[in-house]
Amino acid sequence: MAKLLIVDDEADVREFAANFFRKRKIDCSTAASGEEALALLDKDKADLILLDIKMGGIDGFETLKRIKDKNKDFKVIMVTGRKPEDDNSFENCRKLGALDYIHKPLELEELEKIVLNHLAKPKK
Amino acid sequence: MPLNYKKELEDAAKTMILVHEPNTLIRLIARMLVHKIKVDHAGILLHDRKRDCYILTVSRGSTGLKIPKGFARMDADNPLIKFFRDKIDKKLFNDGAIVYGQLKRAFSGKKVTPVEKNILKGALYQMEIFEADVCIPSYFRDELLGILLLGKKRDRKPFAKEALDFFVALASDVAMAIRNAFLFKELEVELNNKQRLFIHTTVALAAAIDAKDHYTHGHTSRVTSISLEIARKHAQKLNKDYADKFLEHLHIAGLLHDIGKIGIPESILNKEGPLDENEKKRIMEHPMIGATILNPIKELEDSILGVKYHHERYDGSGYPEGLKGKSIPLIASIIAVADTFDAMTTDRPYRKGLSKEEAADEILRVSGKQLDPEVCASFMQIYKEGKI
Repeated sequence: MAKLLIVDDEADVREFAANFFRKRKIDCSTAASGEEALALLDKDKADLILLDIKMGGIDGFETLKRIKDKNKDFKVIMVTGRKPEDDNSFENCRKLGALDYIHKPLELEELEKIVLNHLAKPKK
Repeated sequence: MPLNYKKELEDAAKTMILVHEPNTLIRLIARMLVHKIKVDHAGILLHDRKRDCYILTVSRGSTGLKIPKGFARMDADNPLIKFFRDKIDKKLFNDGAIVYGQLKRAFSGKKVTPVEKNILKGALYQMEIFEADVCIPSYFRDELLGILLLGKKRDRKPFAKEALDFFVALASDVAMAIRNAFLFKELEVELNNKQRLFIHTTVALAAAIDAKDHYTHGHTSRVTSISLEIARKHAQKLNKDYADKFLEHLHIAGLLHDIGKIGIPESILNKEGPLDENEKKRIMEHPMIGATILNPIKELEDSILGVKYHHERYDGSGYPEGLKGKSIPLIASIIAVADTFDAMTTDRPYRKGLSKEEAADEILRVSGKQLDPEVCASFMQIYKEGKI
């Protein structure tokens, strides 16, 4: 079973997203911070990581950098609460190696498709 | 005991009249649905006009799905939104509430076109994602303002007709209330903007007066802030609504109290050395000139009293009308104290200003003669508290 790691400092978001994907037969684990995510990735694998940008402690950008330093093959999708019109971090994240970039509030069906899509693709 | 829907609706309507904050309002409605109707969860999608999408603004559940605030949205091309916006619901069903089972039956029925079938399929999947058993659209005129999403009933029984009718009536009330609440909010913002614009204009005018009178540079803003301090102390004795209004009027009056000096020649205002009788008379005209300038502005009625009477004296020896005691408006008596204090502490070319201590002693000395003793008492309090 594919494994998805959800990184978000909001407990409600972690809980909802994990339940949402578990119902769709995707194995999920969660981390409440960038630090926790990095520690988890030391012990466990993840086929795909959903990473929130705005978090206390090290933010999503820094976490993305460190994840990629660990193993550049990790697949990461960035999630942001910024409004698309005043957000220019997309390119930045792409340069850092993120596969995709999605804005909250999000279309749940679209989220599902994006995640399933990336999970189905073999690692580069 | 069975739920009295009529009463619930009346109670909800009452709440809606009282709550003017849209987000609070929908939170209350969602909570009522979860607790009273006993559904697994309730969510409300609200139209965001700017982006033309529907954002799940509130989601509440004691046992069921709880989606974090601001996490989920439906775009205009989302099948559930199209289902309502294209009025397929009206074509297929009579009542406003759409039940999952009903929708599923319609999907396999013969009445739908292939295009509609596609939309129905998508709409069904949206209801599954949101774990909604019932969807109720909220319209204002023809505009889809929002959708109420309800989970299953906790006792797992189907919703009674009476309950569905209740949701439809509630959704329409909610739409109206939210519309009103947003309008109210917009109005408030607009009023605040206007208020700010007005204050800025007044500050600019006040700066024009200060610029004309070289010796009293900054006098207007100092008198305004001292007056407001005195009034805040004084206002503790007044009722809150009145006090807020009073402070607003005083703010404007403080800024404009010397606006009449616009009509006095600069040669008199900036004269080095004492003024002769004629010049004194000219200077004494400034409260009346100020009142005359502002008179056409009806909204300034209360502030004008402060401008017109700030040189009246408690013992009746002031100008322009020689008012006495409590017949001098409070707004003017407050400016008078602040004005006197600031005039005494400011340096002039022909004399050095007094220290704050000396000036405060002088205020005490003339209290009850030149100045209103109660206002002087408030002034002394804030002076002792170090607010001046």
